[in-house]
Amino acid sequence: MRVGLEAFLMLGAALFACGLYGAVSKRSAVQVLMSLELMALAVNLNLMAFARFRTPEIMTGWYFTLFAMVVSAAEVGMGLALVLAIYRRARTSEVSSLTELKG
Amino acid sequence: MSMNWVLLIPVLPVVSFLVITPLPRATRNRILWLPVATMSTSLVLAIAALMKVWPGGHGEEPVWQLSWRFATLGGQSLSMGFALDPVAAAVLVVVTVVATCVMVYSLGYMHRDGRVGWYYAVVSLFTSAMLVLVLSSDLLLTFAMWELMGLSSYLLIGFWYELEAPRKASQKAFLTTRVGDLGFLLALFVIYANCGTFELHEVLGAAAGWAPGVAALVAGGLLWAAMGKSAQMPLHVWLPDAMAGPTPASALIHAATMVAAGVFVVARTLPIFELAPGVMTVMLVVGATTAVAGGLLAAVQHDVKKVLAYSTISQLGLMFVALGAGSAVAALFHLTTHAFFKSLLFLGAGVIIHAAHTQDMREMGGLRKHLPITTATFTVGALALAGVFPLAGFFSKDEIVTVLLHEHHYVALGAVLFASGLTAFYVTRLWFRVFSGPEQSEELHEGHRSMVAPMVLLAVITALAGFASPSFAEFMGHEGKWPELSVALLSTAVAAVGIGTGWWFYGRRSVVVNTQVWKRRFSYGYHALAQKLYFDLTYDVLFVKGYFRLSEAASGFDGTVVDGAVNGAAKTYVAATGASDGFDRHVVDGAVNGTASFARLVGFAFRRIQTGRLQSYQRLVVGALVVLMLVLIVTRGA
Repeated sequence: MRVGLEAFLMLGAALFACGLYGAVSKRSAVQVLMSLELMALAVNLNLMAFARFRTPEIMTGWYFTLFAMVVSAAEVGMGLALVLAIYRRARTSEVSSLTELKG
Repeated sequence: MSMNWVLLIPVLPVVSFLVITPLPRATRNRILWLPVATMSTSLVLAIAALMKVWPGGHGEEPVWQLSWRFATLGGQSLSMGFALDPVAAAVLVVVTVVATCVMVYSLGYMHRDGRVGWYYAVVSLFTSAMLVLVLSSDLLLTFAMWELMGLSSYLLIGFWYELEAPRKASQKAFLTTRVGDLGFLLALFVIYANCGTFELHEVLGAAAGWAPGVAALVAGGLLWAAMGKSAQMPLHVWLPDAMAGPTPASALIHAATMVAAGVFVVARTLPIFELAPGVMTVMLVVGATTAVAGGLLAAVQHDVKKVLAYSTISQLGLMFVALGAGSAVAALFHLTTHAFFKSLLFLGAGVIIHAAHTQDMREMGGLRKHLPITTATFTVGALALAGVFPLAGFFSKDEIVTVLLHEHHYVALGAVLFASGLTAFYVTRLWFRVFSGPEQSEELHEGHRSMVAPMVLLAVITALAGFASPSFAEFMGHEGKWPELSVALLSTAVAAVGIGTGWWFYGRRSVVVNTQVWKRRFSYGYHALAQKLYFDLTYDVLFVKGYFRLSEAASGFDGTVVDGAVNGAAKTYVAATGASDGFDRHVVDGAVNGTASFARLVGFAFRRIQTGRLQSYQRLVVGALVVLMLVLIVTRGA
């Protein structure tokens, strides 16, 4: 049988849901970052799937995905730097203890 | 030749009033020569005016007249008019002579007073007003001067305003004469409504065409006003109290001139009275009653000036009797002679009071030896008042008696003769009590030259004026004649009886009559007289107490109804403000505060979710997203 667009979208949705769950529920800031990456990957997967099945004749989707991955890499770099800075300041990297924005 | 210089006669004194009044007190007191000089000039001019009018008797047309319009009200013009006729000329001379004498006399009498300058200013103002009144040919002007004299009289009675009696007397005089003045106003209204003018000549000309009631109303009003001004019963009560003023002012105002103004105005308007016989009868009755009652009251007074005041009331009553009998000439002649001898008596009384340091006759006596000139002049005045031949009072009183005889007013005649007898009695009583008997004091001194000279002049005039009787009548345009012998004998007999009785009571050296016995014998009558015939008492009960009761009622009305209304309004307003305040506080502020507290409440509620935990925000965002997506799906699906 042939793997269709729907299968990729289902996989992307599952990945996104996993990432969302992780981002919302994980305590460690590193884990949250990883979950965010998972969600970004799900989006990239969807982008690739649409590009493959809907507009195979142009390369826009491919390039865009490539750019998005580059941006994600930079994002992770900066996110990790932030996590380090937070850890230095608060002596913890648990997201639930960072409540300085409390109103 | 223009005779407008006549206008200077009243203008000169008012000029000195206007010059003196604004000056500081010390300067005022130093320029007393000014009012005396202006008044003397007025006297000279008045005599010149008399010469111009002489020999008089020329009917209706005045020798000089002047009139100008001073205001136009609603198309009606009001004018001031002056006219010089024989009556005016004669009274001008009387007023200026007496005023000049009084002013010269006051130089000596008032020189120690600190406010003598003001005294002279007011006397000048008064004289000016009197002179304008005499010259006025316009009833509105007459009324204005009438009131101005009332004001000057008020100021002079209350001259020593630091004492209580003058203060009260001045108010009493002003208010009592004001009661009379209402009659004048009423008469003026009726005259203007019927004639449209106040010009005396036109009014008298038009009067004949009036309805009978109108003439009676005008005459009644004028009579009432004259009764107030000339102190006729029942409006006489102010004059005895007015003696609280300076004695020379009493001589001028309350003996010679102002009180005679009532007689003068009635004499001027006598044609109107003749159209109302009822009013004439009333005038006769009022005059006769006042003449008798004034004489009786004078007989029981102990104060020298009060004797003279009641005497003035009585003599003015005689003038009203003459007017009531229709003889303006007799009234005016008695006015003239009375002005001279009564002011002479008052000036003499001033010297007596200065010498004896009291006004009470019971504390006087034996002044004859120390005050020879005053005694002589006073005796002339007293005999003239008593009506002894050949002094002025004899002729003028006889003229009144003659008129009454000819007009057949026998009751009034009896009253006049009785009053004459009383006059002779009380003046004799006064004379013996003051001048004879044991001396009461050693330090008596004759008055200053400036006081004696005017008295001598007035005494000479008093002694001689009577002989002018026929020429006075001719001057006024009437038939002049000497008193009939029978009348002369009758009145001389009456005077002799009066003087004899007075001598029997007070003059005999051998037998001292115990007046206490006589007082007890006629205790009711004496008590009534001592209480001034209860006039003051009645007025006190009726008007003063009544006024107080009215005031209390008004005060009660004010306290309950008016104040209640005001307070009620205030309370209503307070309540309304309270409501407004409540509205403001609860509704307006409530809306503002409510908005604020709603915002706070919302903030309070929502700060719960501001945990600071990013993940919880995230959850909310995801939850919201899910909800929105479900909504989208459901609505799309539908």
